[in-house]
Amino acid sequence: MEIEHIIQKLWPRVRKKHFYPQLPLPVVIEGGEDCALEIKSKQLSISSAFYDKLKEDMDGEEIVEAVLDHGITHYMYCPWDFHTHLTLYNEAKKVVRQKDQAQRAATYFMDVVADTYCVKEKDTNIAALYKNLPKTGVHEVLTALYEKIWGEDLGSGGHEELVNRLSRIPYLDRKSWKESIKKFTEVIQHILEEEWNDEQMSSHREPNPMGEHSLENYSLEEIDQGLREFAGAVDDLQEFKETVEDLKEELEEKGYGAGGMGRGKGNPLDANLLYYMKLAESYTLPIRKLPIEKTGYLHPHAHRPWEIGKPFADIDVWTSFGKIIPGITQIWTKREGETHGEYEGIPDCLIIIDSSGSMINPRERLSHAVLGAVCACNAYLKNESRAAVYNFSDALRGNKIVLEFSHDKEQIYQAICRYFGGGTALDLDDITSLLSRADNPDIFIITDMQITNLEKLIDFFQRIDNRVTAVHLGHNVHTTRFKDGMAKKKNISLFNVKNKEDIPKIILGKVKEYLTSPAEWR
Amino acid sequence: MKNPFEAFHHTGARKREIPLDTILKSKEETLSKILTGYEDLLKNEAKDLVWLMQYSTVIKAYSIAERGIEGLEYTAEDIEEFCYALDHSDQIPYLITGPAGIYISALCNHAQEQEICLHLRDLTVKINLLGYRLPTNKKLMVQGNVGDFTGIGLDGGELIIEGSGKNYTGAGMKRGKIVVRHNLGFNTGHGMTGGELMVGGRIKGLGKIVGGKLYERDQLIFPNEGIKPFYV
Amino acid sequence: MKNGHYQTRIRAIYNFISDNLYLNRPDIEIKGEQFNSTLLFGLLTGLNRGKELIIGEPGLGKTTSAEYVGSILYRYPLGIVWGSEISGHPEQTEEKIIGRPHLGELNKGREKVVWSDFAQIPVKIVDEINRLPETKQSMILNGVDRGNWEYLNEILINDEYSLFATANYQDRGTNTIIAPLIDRFDCLIESRHPGSNIAYTIGKEALVPHSLRHPQYEKELHQILRGDKPYEEKMTLAEGVCDLFGEYLKEQLGLEGLNKEERTHINEEMLGLNFDIDTNAFVRMMLAELSFCHKYGQKRSVETCEDGCHYTGYLCHHIKNCASNRLPMSMRKYAQALAWFLEDDGVDLEHIRLIIPYTLAHRIQWKDSYLSKKEGEGRNDPFQIYLVKAAAEETFQRYNEQREYLLEALSVGYRAFAGEEVTPLEGDHPIYEEIKKDIGVKDEKPL
Repeated sequence: MEIEHIIQKLWPRVRKKHFYPQLPLPVVIEGGEDCALEIKSKQLSISSAFYDKLKEDMDGEEIVEAVLDHGITHYMYCPWDFHTHLTLYNEAKKVVRQKDQAQRAATYFMDVVADTYCVKEKDTNIAALYKNLPKTGVHEVLTALYEKIWGEDLGSGGHEELVNRLSRIPYLDRKSWKESIKKFTEVIQHILEEEWNDEQMSSHREPNPMGEHSLENYSLEEIDQGLREFAGAVDDLQEFKETVEDLKEELEEKGYGAGGMGRGKGNPLDANLLYYMKLAESYTLPIRKLPIEKTGYLHPHAHRPWEIGKPFADIDVWTSFGKIIPGITQIWTKREGETHGEYEGIPDCLIIIDSSGSMINPRERLSHAVLGAVCACNAYLKNESRAAVYNFSDALRGNKIVLEFSHDKEQIYQAICRYFGGGTALDLDDITSLLSRADNPDIFIITDMQITNLEKLIDFFQRIDNRVTAVHLGHNVHTTRFKDGMAKKKNISLFNVKNKEDIPKIILGKVKEYLTSPAEWR
Repeated sequence: MKNPFEAFHHTGARKREIPLDTILKSKEETLSKILTGYEDLLKNEAKDLVWLMQYSTVIKAYSIAERGIEGLEYTAEDIEEFCYALDHSDQIPYLITGPAGIYISALCNHAQEQEICLHLRDLTVKINLLGYRLPTNKKLMVQGNVGDFTGIGLDGGELIIEGSGKNYTGAGMKRGKIVVRHNLGFNTGHGMTGGELMVGGRIKGLGKIVGGKLYERDQLIFPNEGIKPFYV
Repeated sequence: MKNGHYQTRIRAIYNFISDNLYLNRPDIEIKGEQFNSTLLFGLLTGLNRGKELIIGEPGLGKTTSAEYVGSILYRYPLGIVWGSEISGHPEQTEEKIIGRPHLGELNKGREKVVWSDFAQIPVKIVDEINRLPETKQSMILNGVDRGNWEYLNEILINDEYSLFATANYQDRGTNTIIAPLIDRFDCLIESRHPGSNIAYTIGKEALVPHSLRHPQYEKELHQILRGDKPYEEKMTLAEGVCDLFGEYLKEQLGLEGLNKEERTHINEEMLGLNFDIDTNAFVRMMLAELSFCHKYGQKRSVETCEDGCHYTGYLCHHIKNCASNRLPMSMRKYAQALAWFLEDDGVDLEHIRLIIPYTLAHRIQWKDSYLSKKEGEGRNDPFQIYLVKAAAEETFQRYNEQREYLLEALSVGYRAFAGEEVTPLEGDHPIYEEIKKDIGVKDEKPL
């Protein structure tokens, strides 16, 4: 096939032009004549129908090279990764408030950025390609924009007001992309709305000639990493939640369940859980290394010259060659060996988290208390221990969750993220029952200490020997009482947190301490 | 010692510049000049970062602003960039909404375009004194919410606010038209002597109106049986 | 450069080992060709007199790949290579590794050294180097680094040598490789499992005498190496036997090894390959991120990088130690060797991007926080190599974005260094600060 030969011929040159992207050789597909390119998991596919259609107006090699330039620049420059794609979509959504329109705005913006970058930085025929592409709807405006900002005659024109505004956007300044896409979307908003309304009426969608951008472009690992970075970058939980809810179908189709990848379809995606899960991945502890320990026996360590007066017992007869001569004779120095040991067992972990009305609802705003709890759980689960959750508000009235020790991450997250918003009282029987199901587990309690039966809790902690880390928010008479009650207990650490942002770090610090000294808990 | 950059002796010539580069460069230069004018205004008017909203200070600030933008060539988009830079940029050391609003009003009044549209929805701060002395044949549309003293001293122009305003909107307006799509605060129309002020939402309170017309949700509320002109 | 003659021979060696001796699965791709990293880097190490550390699970061909490469490239029969290997265990002594006194001469009261085969022959293999106690590792530092071996009052200097060391993953009985020793290795490679289908075919053929063995020549070489002649003379004589073995290889297996002159010539050809401008600039950018510290002047393993530094987005924030000067040397050597092997006219970005992970993986100490973030990510490489691949890609993206500006900055640096009055370009990346330091301009960014 002619186009395949062209690809084979051009590919080394195009790769070199773009500094050797790690992409496989592009393939040809029998795609629609309206869409030049498909990108799925780094595989570029050029439509033969598109090629045949455009060949009437352009040289075949020019078409292929331009299309490849476009596709590669999306990979190498914009969006580069899924996190950037999500960020652009998120910002566009703030303007248009409608999923499809925001996706389209993001797609068009990325096309403008990629093509402009290519035209400026590389030797490309993209301009000639646009000259020969159909110019309707938003593409008419974009082609007019390209004429203005590239200085090329593309056979378009008009839309002066829109183009004037669009041409002032710094497309090649990556740091400004968040603001730039908002401005971009604002300008073309009415066109996007018109397009969308037309499609609703006619049930027919005009494809983007330069290919669509969707989750299909990314592998599961890239999506995973992108979501993690996005969780850390957004201003609040709601933004993350909204974006993930929008992409829920596509994520689930890709097999991205709340518990992680590869869980298959049928697991509904919970955006709140996903948020805390991804955010907690930024606060992880490394898996414990094998400890170095003494082997308990002496081994020959090194030779040193024998001196008159030194004992004979450690003379190495072989290296001394049977001679007792200063300068020739050598003796062994022995040392206790060090080698890698084995892992000590790690106890299980009980998380006691307060979800009364005074605590933040983790499904509305970022709750650092929940984040800290999730980080602790992750650390124990990673070391193959189990975690249990006691989530309480007014427990005596039934506002509680008691989750037994398990390895099931999703269940644990669900239990931690649950919010009751009522009063604050513990049911100590529940805690006692949970503690009896594991061998001296570590306890993490996160609360603002405004607990109605605080005295009973203090009394309870005074009787147990488990390692306890208590993180409390704010400073009040209750926290003072708790502190005084725990003063003599060496197994209890108390942290008063002024900035909620410190909670995950405090908890992780304590977990790290516990994990590196596991023998002490026995 | 051998030059460690020897291999780069012949590099350095930048690749092609496209018109986008020129447009952005020109935009930066214009913005820079506008910012300089604003800083001069602040230096003269806002000593110790305090600026008092008074009749005389407003007039003085406006004339300084006019002097600052004299000879400057800019477009409506440049004014919008300036508004944006007020809110987001590190370039502006401090934002005082009074002088900022006067400065923007001066920019709008002396812009080449007859119709100016400022997209201010994304701004976190609400700018005061927008539309000050907007002259005849000028139309200023603001997408977003505005602050106090919007459209005061309106002088024949048309001011459209696609959002809400705060207090003293239209105070002292002489002629022209102000349209506010949503709500206004207290002392609306205080001292207005003419023109039309049309509010699509609710008005929290009226000022001492002298003349002109005031509409709330398409209902004429001044002049009205219940509300007499101030001078009566 | 399309000489092709030597490259053809090396490719033939690669194909022979790959098809017959070290069955493997290709795991890297460059210039449209697929290679197995262990075998490719083994050949490159043999060609450019490098030092390679091969890691992997037990029984995956770490040692055998090195033995085959060494035997064919240097034309030493396999038996000699086997006999010269040092195995790592705590009871190793200097006498077993380097040399011992001549017993007869010692009885006569004279000092004379009998050098070990390991010290003498240019193919040096240390098996399970991380089982050597750290004191023993220190003993071989100088030899590993420069080919200088000292015992009693004598010194033996190798003209040319390649070193292959193998190491299993950590378990009971292994030690860490000391930092000075690990830095001396040019590259780190994993010997991987070839997959179940290929693994099944290993050993299926009836056992025949190994094709790379030759008992007669082994005996002759053994006698030469144990003889009394001066080292240089021994090597000349050994080369003669190696020539004969080379002819045997050519006749029996169709393989052409390399004599010393040819190996030297190849090295010269490699050294003649230049880095293109982009590769040059990219490597500088990478090195800047690995050595820079805004607060303390340079990266040091005893100093902690605080959060809140302006440069937290760069690699310097994620690592503990500073890149050594051996790193650019290793990068250069291997990139040139690779470009030579592929018959390219110079070293370009594709070569260096392939090489960097393998030359950097063992030299870098990552912070725990960075490790914990990355260790859950899916990958196809061992964790050390994966981390550097990911880091190099990040840095490459930065390079791609600011290439023009960086080249201009370097050009301005040239002019400033030459004495011209120019203002250095400002930029966010550490490389711009490094340029300013080189031309004597103070960094005024706040701490």
